[in-house]
Amino acid sequence: MVNKIEHAQLKETLYQEKLPNGLNVFVVPKQGFQKTYAIFTTRYGAIDHDFQPPGKQRIRVPDGIAHFLEHKMFEQRSGEDVFQQFALQGAAANAYTSFTRTAYLYSCTENVEKNLTTLLDFVQEPYFTDENVEKEKGIIAQEIRMYDDTPDWRLYFGLIQAFYQQHPVKIDIAGTVESIYEITKEHLYQCYETFYHPSNMVLVIVGSVQPEQIIQLVAENQAKKNFTNQAEIKRFFEQEPDQVRTRRNDVQLAVGVPKCMFGFKERASFVGQKGDDFLRQELSTFLFLEYLFGQGSDFYQSLYDDGLIDEQFGYDYSLEDGFAFSMAGGDSSDPERLLARVEKEVPGFVQRGLDQTTFDRLRKKRIGSTLRLLNSPEWIANQYTRYQFAGTDLFRMIPLLEELTVDQVNERMREHVDFEQFATSVIKPSAQVSKE
Amino acid sequence: MTDIHFSTTSVGSARLHVLNSKKFKTTTVVVLFEQELSEEKVTQSALLPNVLQRGTQSYPTTVQVKQKCDQLYGANLFGDVFKRGGRHFLQFGLDVANGDYLSERPALLTEGLQFLQEVLFKPVTSNDGFSSSFVNAEKKNLRQRIESLKDDKIRYAAQRLNEEMYKGEPHALYNYGQLRSLDAIDERSLYTYYQEVIQSCPIDIYCVGDVHPEEVKALFETQLGAHIGRQERPSVEALRNDQKVEQVNEIVERLEVQQGKLNLGCRTHVTIEDDLYPALMMYNGILGGFAHSKLFMNVREKASLAYYCSSRIDSYLGQVAIQSGIEIANYDQAVSIMKEQLEEMRQGNISEQEISQTKATLTNQIRERLDSAYGLIDFAHHTQQPTRKREVEQLLQEIADVTPQQIQEVAQQVELDTIYFLRDQGGIDGE
Repeated sequence: MVNKIEHAQLKETLYQEKLPNGLNVFVVPKQGFQKTYAIFTTRYGAIDHDFQPPGKQRIRVPDGIAHFLEHKMFEQRSGEDVFQQFALQGAAANAYTSFTRTAYLYSCTENVEKNLTTLLDFVQEPYFTDENVEKEKGIIAQEIRMYDDTPDWRLYFGLIQAFYQQHPVKIDIAGTVESIYEITKEHLYQCYETFYHPSNMVLVIVGSVQPEQIIQLVAENQAKKNFTNQAEIKRFFEQEPDQVRTRRNDVQLAVGVPKCMFGFKERASFVGQKGDDFLRQELSTFLFLEYLFGQGSDFYQSLYDDGLIDEQFGYDYSLEDGFAFSMAGGDSSDPERLLARVEKEVPGFVQRGLDQTTFDRLRKKRIGSTLRLLNSPEWIANQYTRYQFAGTDLFRMIPLLEELTVDQVNERMREHVDFEQFATSVIKPSAQVSKE
Repeated sequence: MTDIHFSTTSVGSARLHVLNSKKFKTTTVVVLFEQELSEEKVTQSALLPNVLQRGTQSYPTTVQVKQKCDQLYGANLFGDVFKRGGRHFLQFGLDVANGDYLSERPALLTEGLQFLQEVLFKPVTSNDGFSSSFVNAEKKNLRQRIESLKDDKIRYAAQRLNEEMYKGEPHALYNYGQLRSLDAIDERSLYTYYQEVIQSCPIDIYCVGDVHPEEVKALFETQLGAHIGRQERPSVEALRNDQKVEQVNEIVERLEVQQGKLNLGCRTHVTIEDDLYPALMMYNGILGGFAHSKLFMNVREKASLAYYCSSRIDSYLGQVAIQSGIEIANYDQAVSIMKEQLEEMRQGNISEQEISQTKATLTNQIRERLDSAYGLIDFAHHTQQPTRKREVEQLLQEIADVTPQQIQEVAQQVELDTIYFLRDQGGIDGE
C-alpha cells in the first residue's frame, strides 16, 4: 500500500511503499520540473570489505571492490554497455560509490518509465566475465591516478588517514592499482549476491511523475523477478580506538599553493545514533562549525585578512554508521601559522559558546540554505536515501532545526571539539614546472 | 513548455529580464556587466567583485556583510567573472529564500535587493579610493587563486591548451587574470576602474522566482534605477577568431604528475552565429559529449586507456577541445585513436544509432538546464549574445532536423590545431 505524507510548509508530498521483496520505494513529485531523477542505492560501500553472506563463510575481499563492482554493473549480457540504452532513451545515467553506499542513477526529461525499467533491470542483472573484468582494470587504474594527482582529494584523504587506525574508512574508495588487479569475477558475484538484494536497497524518484503510477510500475517489475527472502548480512569492522592514528599527515605534491585541512575525530560514544538523534547531532554540529569557521565568524575573517585562508576555505561534517569526523580547511599560504592560530584560538570560542542572537542567525541561515537545496531533485533524492539508511527522514530537517536550542548546540560543541581528537593534513609544494 | 521565457523591459539603460516560476523555493537575481576581454582589464575585472563584497556604507565590515546574509535566511550573495564570446562578464547576484516557505513569512526579496544595491553602488571608500585593506586582502586572495590553477590538473591543462592555441590573443587570457598585472593595481586605480564599469558597461539583470514581473520591475526601479542612469552603454564588440590552421602545434609540458593529461584543440569554423551550429552540437555530441560517444567508446571502453575522455565546444570561438587523462607511456596510442575518431567523423562514418542517441541526449541536456534558475538565466544570456537568436524550442527543433550530411559538412571543416600534453619529469629523451 502506498503511504502518502504531506509536508505542508515545504509544499512537498512524499509517497512510499515497501514492496514484498523488501525494496523500499520513495517518490517525491516535483511540479513544473522538466526532469525526473531516479536513484537506486544499495547499502554497500567501500567499508564493507569483511562480511558473512547469509548461510556462507565469512570473507575478506580486496580493497576497492565495491567501486569496481559499480563499474562492472553497466556491462550487459548483450555485450553492449547500458549507457547505450539510456542514450537512446534520452537519459543521462551515472553511478557512484561512497564509503557506505553504491548508487545508480539517471535523469531524463522523456521516457521516464522506460528509463526506470532500464535502471532496475541493469542493476538486477549482473554479467561479469573474466574478460570484461580484466578490461576494466586499466580504466580504474587511470581513475586512481587521476585522484593521485588531485590535491584536494589527497588532502581530504590524508586527514581521514590521520584519524583512523583500524576502521576501513581509511582505505581509499577505489582501492590501489595493486589491489584492483587481485579482483576476479568470483569476488564480484560474491559481493553482488550479498549486498544487492532488494531488501538492502532503496529506490528514490524525484521529478515530473505520477507517484502511484510509477510505484505500480516498480512493483510489477519487481514481482517478475525471483528474489528469495534474505537473512541478515553480517558485516565486520575492525575495532577503532578513540585516539587518532597520527596528529599530522604531510604530503608533497606539484601544487602552486600549500593546502591544510584539520578536524576532530568523533569518539566512539558519539557514533551510531539513529533516527531524529542522528539528524539532531548532524544539525547541531553544522551549526557550531558555522559559528567557529563560517564566513560570518570573526575568526574566519581574521584568518582571511591575515592571508592564512582564502575564499575556498570551507568545513564539513561526516556522520556515518561506524565513523564520524569534522573537517575544515583549504588553500593556505602558511599552514603552520594557520594551525597555530586554530589551536590557540578555537578553545576560547568553544569556552565562550554561542549566544542566543548568534544561534538564531545561524539557524536562519541553515533553514534558508536548506530551502535552496530543495530546488534540486538530485539533492533531494541523494539525501533522502542517505537519511533513510540512517533511520530518519530528510523532511524532518527543518522541523528539527526549529526545535533545536542554543544549549544543545553548545553542549554538542563541547563534546566534539576536543584537541585530544584533533588531527591535520598538509600538502606542500614540490617540483617546479618546466617547459620544452 | 511553460515557465521558461523571460519578459524583458528596462531599468534605466539596463535590460531587466524577469521569469515568473513557481517551481523554485528561492528567488534568484543576477546582474551582469559586459566588459571587453583584454590584458589591460582582465585582472581588474576579476578583482572587483571580491572587493565589492567586502563591505558597504551600511555594513562596513565583511563580518557585517556576511551576518546580514545570514539574517536574510542565508541569502547567497555572490560575485564572479566569466568569459563568453570574447567578452568578459562581471557577475553579481543574490539568491534569497521565498518567504512563503518560512513561518515568519519575511519579505526577503525587497530587503535583499536593497542590500545588493548597496554592495554594487555604495562601497566603502576613503580618499577617492576603495578601502586599502580590502584591496590588499583581495589581491592576496586573487594571487592565490591564480597560483592554485595548476593544482587542478584538469583545469590547468584546459587553460594551457587555450594559451597555446590562442597565443597573443585575448582568448588566451585566464579568466582570473594574470599575476604580473596584480602589483600595479591599488585602491585608487581599481576605484577608477570601478567607476568606468558601473557607468559605461552594458548591464543585464535577470530575476527568476515566484514573482510578479510588474512588482519586480518597480522594485528594481526603486533600488537600482537612479544608480544605473539613462546614459548609453555601448555594447562591447565580440572578438572572433577564424584563422586557418597551418601546422599542428605540439606542446609537451612537465610537472610532477602520476597521470598524463592529453588535450587536443580543434578549429571548426562554425559558431553559434551560424546555420550549422546545431550540426556542430551534434558533431561534438557524437565525437565526445557523452558516454555513448566515439571518444568514450574507443579510448576508454575498447582500449582501456583512460577513465575520462570527452570533448566540448566553445560556441563562440568555434573550438572543439578534447580532454583525457592517460598513462604517460600510452601517449602515441591515445593520440592516434583520437585522430582516428576525427577522421571517422570526417568520413561520415556515423551510425543511425549514434545520431538518434545524440539527438536524444542533447535534447535532454538542454531541457534539464531549464530546471535550475541559473540554467535558465544562462540559457537566456546565451540567446541574447549573438546576433542570431535561438529560443529553446527553436534550438531543439533545429537539433531534431540536423541531417547526417550537415554533421559531415561540419566534420570536413574541423582542423586539428594543437596537441597539448602534460606529463611527468621522467624519460626526457623519450620512453
